[in-house]
Amino acid sequence: MKQLVAFLLWMIAAAPVTAQVQGVKLDEPVELPAFAFENGIGETFNADTLQDQWTIVMFGFLSCPDVCPFTMGNLEATIAEMGLRVRPDNVPKVVFLSVDPDRDADLISTYAKFFHPDFQSFTGDRTDIDALIEATDSFYRLMPADEDGYYEVQHSSSVSVIAPDGTLRAKLQPPFDPGLTAEFLSQLQIQYRREAS
Amino acid sequence: MKPVLIGLVAACFPAALWAQDITATEAVVPLAPPGVMTHAAYLTLHNTGQGTRTLIGVQVDGYAMAHLHSSEDKNGVATMSVLHGLEIGAGQTVTLEQGGMHIMLMHPAAPLTEGAEVALTLQFANGETVEVTAPVKRLGYGS
Repeated sequence: MKQLVAFLLWMIAAAPVTAQVQGVKLDEPVELPAFAFENGIGETFNADTLQDQWTIVMFGFLSCPDVCPFTMGNLEATIAEMGLRVRPDNVPKVVFLSVDPDRDADLISTYAKFFHPDFQSFTGDRTDIDALIEATDSFYRLMPADEDGYYEVQHSSSVSVIAPDGTLRAKLQPPFDPGLTAEFLSQLQIQYRREAS
Repeated sequence: MKPVLIGLVAACFPAALWAQDITATEAVVPLAPPGVMTHAAYLTLHNTGQGTRTLIGVQVDGYAMAHLHSSEDKNGVATMSVLHGLEIGAGQTVTLEQGGMHIMLMHPAAPLTEGAEVALTLQFANGETVEVTAPVKRLGYGS
């Protein structure tokens, strides 16, 4: 009997943790500051483009051999999963924002489209980048160059989820399992609609 | 007679015998976004020999440089560290895969194309080299 009680208590304690593995919902929505990015192919990313749709923002850099392509590939699979679960207008838009404009400005527009034709990628002024980094409680740091001139950019591994009212609502976390991430996002959208009504 | 012959062959071609201890499988270079100057190769290494082997470097045709790296998540920050030697214990299998250890390929001489092959030369601490061919593939991610 004791073991059963202990097991049930463990189930209760463990369940919320398990359910949140792929993401964390913020206790309170966070307003985002003004920012403006464009990428030379007619796409823009600013407070207006956040309105009336879900947006997922990943911070990274193009000379990122492993983590960034891995995350973007998983986000593409997540979006495919979302397409099976939610109305088309609730499928999130995915934005990649490079925090390494010095190296990436010339190539940025095509990067995200490699993973999905609807994905968008931007970089821009550090003021705008830093404002968005700070508002989303994210982080990046340009590391010193090695003997070959390559420098790594450390960046938050989590990805920001912005609701159709333009506020930050959640963070997605590695390993970005597409099915579990899509489930987390679907639940987040249900809660959002419930709170709004 | 046979052991003597094997001994003779071993004396003549030590590297050839060592090379049989390490096999590389599942080598792949994921197709990378256009123009990107840094991407990665992945593979699985098996050590069927009696002793630990240490991968100390990789030389890759068609790239200016290749480094052994490991991606790590440190308190929510994605970082990379240089692997100065990757040990593969006797009988062990070590997997380089996305989100973990990888061979960082830098400055490709030409754009990657799907279906192409990349020739890697793995360099081990004992002087041995192992040749691996990695196909360029567009990776799928599904759950």
